[in-house]
Amino acid sequence: MNQTVVIQPDLAFKRAILGLDAGDFTACYQCGTCSVMCPISPDDDPFPRKEMIWTQWGLKDRLMHDPAIWLCHQCQLCSTYCPREAKPANVMAALREYSVAFHAFPRFLGEWLNKPRYLPLLLGFPVVVLLIVLAIIGTLTELPKGEVIFHAFIPFIYVETIFVIAVAFALIAGVVGAARYWRGAPQASDGAEGAMASVPGAAWTVLRDILLHREFNKCIEKRVGDRPSYKTHVPLSHMAVFFGFGGLFITTMGLAIGIYVFDFFPPMSQSHPLKILANVSGVAVIIACLVFLFRRVIDKEKAGKTTYNDWLFVTVLLLVAATGFLAQITRTAELPHVAYPTYFVHLVLVFFLLAYSPYSKFAHVFYRPAAMLIARYREARNRAAAAESAAGGVRAAA
Amino acid sequence: MSPMTKKLGIYVCSGCGIGECLAANRLTEIAKREFAAPVVQSSRAFCLEDAELIRNDVAKGVVDAVVIAACSPRVNTDVFAFPGAMVERVNIREQVAWCHPAGDPEAQAMAEDHLRMGIARAAMRKAPTPYTEANERRVLVVGGGIAGLNAALHAAAAGLEVVLVEREARLGGAVARLRSQYPTRPPYRAPERTSIGQLIDEAQATDRILVYTGSRVVRVAGQPGRFNVTIARNGSPVELIVGAIVLATGWKPADKARLEAYGYGRIANVVTSLELEEMAAKGSVRRPSDGGPVKTVALISVDSPADEKQIPYAGNVESLVALKQAIELRTDAPERQVYVAYRYMHAPGQNEYFFKAAQQDAGIFLTRAAGRAVSEDGNGRVLVELDSTLLGGRQRIAVDLVVVGTGMEPASPEVEGLNLAYLQGEGMPVNRFGYADSNFICFPYETRRTGIYSAGCVRKAMDLAESAQDGAAAALKAIQCIELSSAGAAVHPRVGDLAYPEILTRHCTQCWRCTEECPFGAIEVNAATRTPQVNPNRCRRCGTCMGGCPVQVISFADYSVNILSSMVHAAARPDGDGAEPRVLVLACENDAYPAIDMAGVNRATLPGSVRIVPVRCLGSVNRAAVAEAVIAGYDAVALMGCRSGEDYQCHFIHGSEVLKTRMDNIREVIDRMALGPERVQYLEVAISEADKIPGMLNDVLAKARALGASPLQHAAE
Repeated sequence: MNQTVVIQPDLAFKRAILGLDAGDFTACYQCGTCSVMCPISPDDDPFPRKEMIWTQWGLKDRLMHDPAIWLCHQCQLCSTYCPREAKPANVMAALREYSVAFHAFPRFLGEWLNKPRYLPLLLGFPVVVLLIVLAIIGTLTELPKGEVIFHAFIPFIYVETIFVIAVAFALIAGVVGAARYWRGAPQASDGAEGAMASVPGAAWTVLRDILLHREFNKCIEKRVGDRPSYKTHVPLSHMAVFFGFGGLFITTMGLAIGIYVFDFFPPMSQSHPLKILANVSGVAVIIACLVFLFRRVIDKEKAGKTTYNDWLFVTVLLLVAATGFLAQITRTAELPHVAYPTYFVHLVLVFFLLAYSPYSKFAHVFYRPAAMLIARYREARNRAAAAESAAGGVRAAA
Repeated sequence: MSPMTKKLGIYVCSGCGIGECLAANRLTEIAKREFAAPVVQSSRAFCLEDAELIRNDVAKGVVDAVVIAACSPRVNTDVFAFPGAMVERVNIREQVAWCHPAGDPEAQAMAEDHLRMGIARAAMRKAPTPYTEANERRVLVVGGGIAGLNAALHAAAAGLEVVLVEREARLGGAVARLRSQYPTRPPYRAPERTSIGQLIDEAQATDRILVYTGSRVVRVAGQPGRFNVTIARNGSPVELIVGAIVLATGWKPADKARLEAYGYGRIANVVTSLELEEMAAKGSVRRPSDGGPVKTVALISVDSPADEKQIPYAGNVESLVALKQAIELRTDAPERQVYVAYRYMHAPGQNEYFFKAAQQDAGIFLTRAAGRAVSEDGNGRVLVELDSTLLGGRQRIAVDLVVVGTGMEPASPEVEGLNLAYLQGEGMPVNRFGYADSNFICFPYETRRTGIYSAGCVRKAMDLAESAQDGAAAALKAIQCIELSSAGAAVHPRVGDLAYPEILTRHCTQCWRCTEECPFGAIEVNAATRTPQVNPNRCRRCGTCMGGCPVQVISFADYSVNILSSMVHAAARPDGDGAEPRVLVLACENDAYPAIDMAGVNRATLPGSVRIVPVRCLGSVNRAAVAEAVIAGYDAVALMGCRSGEDYQCHFIHGSEVLKTRMDNIREVIDRMALGPERVQYLEVAISEADKIPGMLNDVLAKARALGASPLQHAAE
């Protein structure tokens, strides 16, 4: 109920969203079919109908703090059923891309990740850093002789240092971005005035739902109508890439612990449990990324919004896993002239993926949990308010 | 020819299932025995080859009054038309054979009585003498706007003379004040220049069109085919005779007082859409308060059904005008932002592309909203509070200029019309919205003054394209009127009817009820004799005058109280032997009679103890006719007609209503005979309610049963 605020369309914002492969949203005539079809749209704050008209009116502030854009899991049912082909799913995806850049800390990195011309610069930074390390070690001019051992090429300590700094930086930036998003949320959604009541265990339920992929499954279980959504594969493929990435992360952590705590010296043998986990995870990631890419290639229409930002993330993730396997294979095959450069490229790509995570499509790891938490709080508060008014009614009657 | 010398030919058809249900031979027997008809024939299909039999009889001069007992008079009218002979149709198919079981004795009795009634009528009918004195082939078009110009051009193209009268100094009407119109050509995305200039040039260049600008119609007298019109051209009178009139006086802006709630009048930067149009046509849209540039505009629709001050209905004109103005405001100044807050968004037909074009313009912001309050902020901008928006609840916008929709009202045909020299008044009768009244469902161009056709926004708020079409259509109706009136035939709905009311003036009591009850103002009072005088071509032959006359001095050559009386008495007298009550049903030919026909077409089962007589309109039912039926021994008389009320269906405007008020009179007559006024029942039925007919008739019988048999049934014995 924004009675006192005069709304002001932001035409530059509207045009920006039009340019993010969401050019059809002007056709929306607010029939509401999308909100009805959406399986995860909450009853008290449905989406994406209102986001469509807010975008038509260029209401940037409202949208940048709207939980709905991150609650959406891109199942595309809305676009499948939209009678005007206004592609609400593309709008939600475009709003997410814009939002990441908008909340980015620092702002300029958010802009750079969305513009192809900055790619050389962004890749160049880790390349230069690693080249400097190689120069210090002496392996820049001359590859290590003998058995292929990556530690000889770049000692772990350098790798750990660089990546710990990179990840720490990314975490801070990610949390700051999510906090900016969070702080704006109360006035963004109508009806959510005042402080949000804290709910014990809300964070835990969100984590549990994420692990169980509850929202993804809702998207295909609660489907209404008989037109198939294009994205019925998503729960499985996202689980693959999610747990695959998780597995790789655990492996890396496990390896670090092994090295620094238990004096373990890699490479691990193929039968080592961690190694098995790593390989299985890597395969999962590769398969998932191939599925994502394949879908975008064979049917661009149904794949939904596809911009540079989308291609970049999937491609980098795929290459991270692919170069990882390639490095492993060429190391085992004792091909130093392929293995060491491949390992170098792998490190550059991992840096790119992790360090720039708050600014790329990867940023959803920060924003989506934040939105889910906001939604839980709002639900709880609405329940409390409803219970209170019912109790008050009972008292009045009595 | 007198009734006595009628050469009757009775033709009984047994096709279409009639013969399977009824004994046709008994019908022919009755024709021969009871009526001594010279020619009696039967056939399995008179509508096919055997039509030749009838034609031969007529051609040979053996028959001059044909009675065909077969299908409903509503069908096969072209097949059963025999020039040189009068044709009487008796319905024994839809209303008898098709709605009773085969061999049913009640059905047989009904068919026999229908035949008797039909023959009685045929014997009594007279051939009408048409009035052919009014045959001027000239059309008067009042109003030189887009509708009037089109009417004039179409009438001239069809070969008629046209007189076009325009009150302003130049032709073009409201359209001439517009900067543009919404698209009429593919891809339907951009406003176009109007075609009014071309139309004006064309009209002025056409020899057959005589144009009077700066002129008004000050008097219209006469009737279709011969209207005596007086035009004041710059004050001096011009007398003309025309055959038909097209009223195309257009619209005027609705009362601006209703816009006060939205700031109009008290805030300088609130204008109407027409005012914006005029500003834009002159080349620059500026803030009225200080002449400053307009960077933001809100186009708001102000109708609100809950508010009586507002116009209670909305159409597509407002939506399309808002879209057009929004697009043009943006085209004129691409940095402008335009809000369109609509209550409804109607963009019918190809205009959908126009709506899409507005949507695709990034600088146009559309939302549904109910406009609430308009005020000024401290910086000279106008604040608009919009309620119930699609954005979520109430929103506020701040703009340089607010544009509210100009409502459209008809240029009152009641007051600014034709100055009719009619007894019933000089204005045109209007409906509750102020538009010229007509039976909107069936005859939208017709007004309640025969020969005068309304077109364009004086008929209904509409846009340019529709107005242009309307004008052309009204011209065609006017031509039709002239053609038929020249032959003395009714124009509609009884197309081609040549008989008109004749008044036996020496018995007239000069009550003048007929002049008041006539829905079309067809009856004037003769200044010398002070008795009513019918203008035949104004008349639509409904017979309301006949129904209302307290002394029954009005009749048609083929339809009168006497004829109805004879028909009622020709049927076999109810003798009280029947188990069921005998009911006479007088059914109006436009609604009730077709509904009964359709019940038969659907093979519903109807009671057999009814006798159904078509009447033109319940308004034509005289209390004397009802009295005759009761005297004839019927247990009940059911008067079935169309639905009355605000959304009336009556083709003659108020037949059922007039009858309802007359019911007191009717019941009083029956009461005086101590026969039970409740025996006269009144029922309303719509033409689409064929499924209700069995229930309604059974209801009538039930009520009659409760009253018991008519005491007159054994009176003859």
